[in-house]
Amino acid sequence: MKTVNLELFNNPNTVNKLSIAIKNESEKLNKPIKIMHICGTHENSIVRYGIRDLLPKSITVIAGPGCPVCVTSSKDIDAVINLSLKKNVKILTFGDMLKVPGTEMSFYKAKSLGADIKMVYSVFDAIELARSASKPCIFFACGFETTAAPTASALRDINIPDNFFIYSAHKYTPNGVYALLKSGKINMDGLILPGHASAISGLKVYERFVEDFNIPCASAGFESVDVLLSVLLIIKQINNKKPKIENGYKRVVNYEGNKNAQKALEDIFYLTNAVWRGLGNIDLTGYELRKEYARFDAKKQFDIVYSDNYIEHQKGCRCNEVILGNINPTQCPLYAKLCTPQNPVGPCMVSDEGTCKNWYDGGIE
Amino acid sequence: MNKITLDHGSGGKLTLELIETVFKAKNGLDSAIIEDIAFTTDSHSINPLFFKGGNIGKLSVSGTVNDLLCVGARPLYLSSAFIIEAGFDMEKLEKIVESMTKEAENANVKIVCGDTKVVENGKCDGVYINTSGIGKIIKPIDGQGVKDKDVVIVSGTVGDHGFAILNERENLNLSSSLKSDVSNLTHLLVPLIESELDIKFIRDPTRGGLAMCLNELCYNRDFGVEIYEEGIPTREDVRVMSEILGIEPYYSANEGKVVIVSSKEDADKALHILKQSELGKNAAIIGKITKDNPKKVVLHTKFDTKRILKMPIADKMPRIC
Repeated sequence: MKTVNLELFNNPNTVNKLSIAIKNESEKLNKPIKIMHICGTHENSIVRYGIRDLLPKSITVIAGPGCPVCVTSSKDIDAVINLSLKKNVKILTFGDMLKVPGTEMSFYKAKSLGADIKMVYSVFDAIELARSASKPCIFFACGFETTAAPTASALRDINIPDNFFIYSAHKYTPNGVYALLKSGKINMDGLILPGHASAISGLKVYERFVEDFNIPCASAGFESVDVLLSVLLIIKQINNKKPKIENGYKRVVNYEGNKNAQKALEDIFYLTNAVWRGLGNIDLTGYELRKEYARFDAKKQFDIVYSDNYIEHQKGCRCNEVILGNINPTQCPLYAKLCTPQNPVGPCMVSDEGTCKNWYDGGIE
Repeated sequence: MNKITLDHGSGGKLTLELIETVFKAKNGLDSAIIEDIAFTTDSHSINPLFFKGGNIGKLSVSGTVNDLLCVGARPLYLSSAFIIEAGFDMEKLEKIVESMTKEAENANVKIVCGDTKVVENGKCDGVYINTSGIGKIIKPIDGQGVKDKDVVIVSGTVGDHGFAILNERENLNLSSSLKSDVSNLTHLLVPLIESELDIKFIRDPTRGGLAMCLNELCYNRDFGVEIYEEGIPTREDVRVMSEILGIEPYYSANEGKVVIVSSKEDADKALHILKQSELGKNAAIIGKITKDNPKKVVLHTKFDTKRILKMPIADKMPRIC
């Protein structure tokens, strides 16, 4: 296995040089700019390394819709919780998902009311659990391409027990972000492309961001040097007035992406519209199982009841604006007061990829 | 209805709240000082029972011995109480007891009484051990005298125990040489406590790690703590695991390390004493007490940025001590 010494990418000298280069380049800007990233793990790195302190005042880095758990709709959460309370089924999902509030409760709460709900680390973990279970097991599958690809390859390539089903809440990032840009719900002067998701989809899927909206784009890894490099690349593009796609994470991401993973996704799923939490329906962003795989599809195999009265955000919660990067967590009146990781009101305070959770953990008040 | 969750036993913020609200203890201190006697108790449940660097037996002795040392006492006597699951291997039990005896001898303490209970198969994970201990105060150390500009020292690399256990329990195979630092610290700390130096606070950063320990140090006080990332000793394999797992070494448990606060004048001398012992060879000054950010622990990163090191709410690695 090829290993990379991550300390190289957190070398204080390199960080210092990049900071200076960013400062010099930023002096050529004719107005302050806003750069958005769309990956929760980027926000984690930015807070952990204190990257915002290294940037000149004219450059603001904001978090966009990059937390998969945060954009999973209450509609889906409610429907599966409902099923878990009524039928003798076991629900398997990621730890991040457990405490996300639905309209009336979270999976965690449902569990305390007697529902059989278990945390898993991966789809493979879920399948193994199903093998030894004596009842139907439904994997509540959420996440972007990064987790959708393993779900797809598991269904296609390994032996699945008869009692294993998938409820897909997987979402495809590029189409979602494109639609939000087009509708004017999000805006930015530059876009940091995701690290993990781009490893699957590649960079070429973002070409239309440049063509249609003239947005400079650069992919980034998760170390301090990676993030600063992407910022520098974007500012240079702005100054040169030549927006394009640049790869700042060559050790993992390439232009075409991972063909095997894309093939698995294509084989198992088709894209349809999906409800993004607080953002509404977005075309061609939801991964649904193809009819050949209907036997695994919990939406087809169980009596799933959707309510029209689902509530995405409780009163006072401003997660939908945080997700779009329109406000900072500290601008939400509930942040760190009524809403904490122990008692999250909105989804952004739950996951390690949520902007509010990252800010809270980083002690930002 | 509220229920106890594993998080309540994590040693983090939820544990502190449980102690304050349900047990109604005003100070959640590990050890009590009664006249010139120190008294403490500690229960141990760890998975796996045997791990690189030790086992639950060694842990149960060193944990209690270290708690006594932290209030400035010379540990003298221990009790040990076992809860054993029916079906547990006798040979394993003998090994655990052997480790306890050895560790007690090394720490110059005597195990003088005990208790044994056996529960049904499936009712506990092999064996749980409680040890209580008493020691004689050499010089009471309770953290009350800590003030602005005092110096914060750590006695060695941080995070070893938590990552060693995780590596082994989850079969991560991320390091072959990493082992738990579990050890009694009698020989490291008695010379320091006996010295004339102005030592104001000693605490073993077990569950919740360095972050929890430093947050407790300034909990509800009129001062805060500033530490410098570059000065904090960490093993390279711990740093790598930390990157991969997304858990910082500052939140990972230690079982053979202490955080010490001394006056500014005595810091170098204290460091010198610690370094005399094999257990303190990597000791380092990591920061200072400050009036600038009361109740908060501020971490200065190696890039000269700052962020707050929060009190962990719950441990990311349950049942590690």
